[in-house]
Amino acid sequence: MSLYPSFARPRTLADAATLLASLASGGVVIAGGQELMPSINQGVLAPEVYVDIGGLAELRGITETPEGRVGIGALTVHRELQTDPRVRAQLPLLAHAATRAGGGRQVHNRGTIGGNLVAQHPLYDIAPPLLALEAEVEWVKGRETVRQPLAAMLADSRHGLGSEAILTRVLVVPMADGLGWAYEKLKASGGAYGSANAAALVKLKEGRVAAVRLVVGAVADRLIDASEAAAALLVGRRFDAEAGAALAGAVSALVAAPLSDAQGPGPWRQAMAGVVAQRALAAAVARAGRG
Amino acid sequence: MDDLAQSVLVQWRVNGVLHELDVLPGLSLLDVLREQLNLTGTHMGCMTGHCGACTVMIDGRIAKSCIAQAATLPRAEIRTIEGLMGPDGRLSPVQQAFWDEAGFQCGYCAPGMLFSAIELLAETPDPTDAEIDSALAGSLCRCTGYQSLRRAVRAAARALKDPNPD
Repeated sequence: MSLYPSFARPRTLADAATLLASLASGGVVIAGGQELMPSINQGVLAPEVYVDIGGLAELRGITETPEGRVGIGALTVHRELQTDPRVRAQLPLLAHAATRAGGGRQVHNRGTIGGNLVAQHPLYDIAPPLLALEAEVEWVKGRETVRQPLAAMLADSRHGLGSEAILTRVLVVPMADGLGWAYEKLKASGGAYGSANAAALVKLKEGRVAAVRLVVGAVADRLIDASEAAAALLVGRRFDAEAGAALAGAVSALVAAPLSDAQGPGPWRQAMAGVVAQRALAAAVARAGRG
Repeated sequence: MDDLAQSVLVQWRVNGVLHELDVLPGLSLLDVLREQLNLTGTHMGCMTGHCGACTVMIDGRIAKSCIAQAATLPRAEIRTIEGLMGPDGRLSPVQQAFWDEAGFQCGYCAPGMLFSAIELLAETPDPTDAEIDSALAGSLCRCTGYQSLRRAVRAAARALKDPNPD
């Protein structure tokens, strides 16, 4: 072991995976660096080895998979999510949420979808829409390629992957025509982070809620999938003020241990979880009604 | 399989000048620009990617150089604030607009504000105030001069549309 960090820039995904497997715990994957570099600059993290995956062509591109999903390479940056015609047309919820990410254009130009997800940061804006969309992730570890629901990855504090794995692709079923969607981010100040956010998808039938997905973030250390609670309250009903108030109460009740940080105190965050859920549902219903 | 390296050779064209540099793993682009190339117009602020004072252009897109790791840029076209003025030493139209409108007070945030305005106006020549605010969101001004910054971007938009108003 050296006192100073070392660096490798593998040319292929297979090389990168082999190298990471050989390094045990000392290797850190880097691409855009937007998540990693602040910790390094502040001395919080001191990797022994950097494995730069920025040159791996296998992790680039936004494609349609043979099974009809949108396959988003892990190196896709936020700016591409905002502007890519396929993402805008087939996953407008994701394209919009990417515009709400913090850090400004400078960070949107370099921060990758893979880095965003692997960070598992409770205040970030990409996981809530992808969880609402029931996305899957694909990753490589040694010679093994694994595909799992994003929900499973997010449930694991080691981001489900472990230090030897590389997230390669995010897979999402295109949103159906007429599906209402919304992403609400409540920012108490002009800062980058939300105090509460919610991603909502809703299908209407004759003006009544037929199906709903709802994910609330930035209020607890993990995202809260409130889809079941929302469906129990809303399916078969019109989304009126009464239904909205009931939803807000039910979502706030799901926040067992609210975050209390620079984005606001816990009890307020718990209340705001309900507020953003209600707003997101209302906006999604309005959009579905127009479609 | 690539070997693990203790330093990394990078080839950058910085403001039009080609440089071959050995950079240490872990160092930011900001560190290398300031310490190895003496380009101190790129300012060090927070080192966490919040303030934007270290903004440069990497391959035509604006970026915060404090959170871009130098070694991850084996070949790159980099433009710093020193590269904005013309060869005759005259300010670029966006810089001139910020000067004319007193866009800056202390000027520490200048790299972030100027590059953000340049990228915005290249894509959106006639931005709304909301688009200006959104474009400047990655850069902080602690002189609290956001009104004058917004005014300067509007003036820059006019100047780029009509370079010779007289």
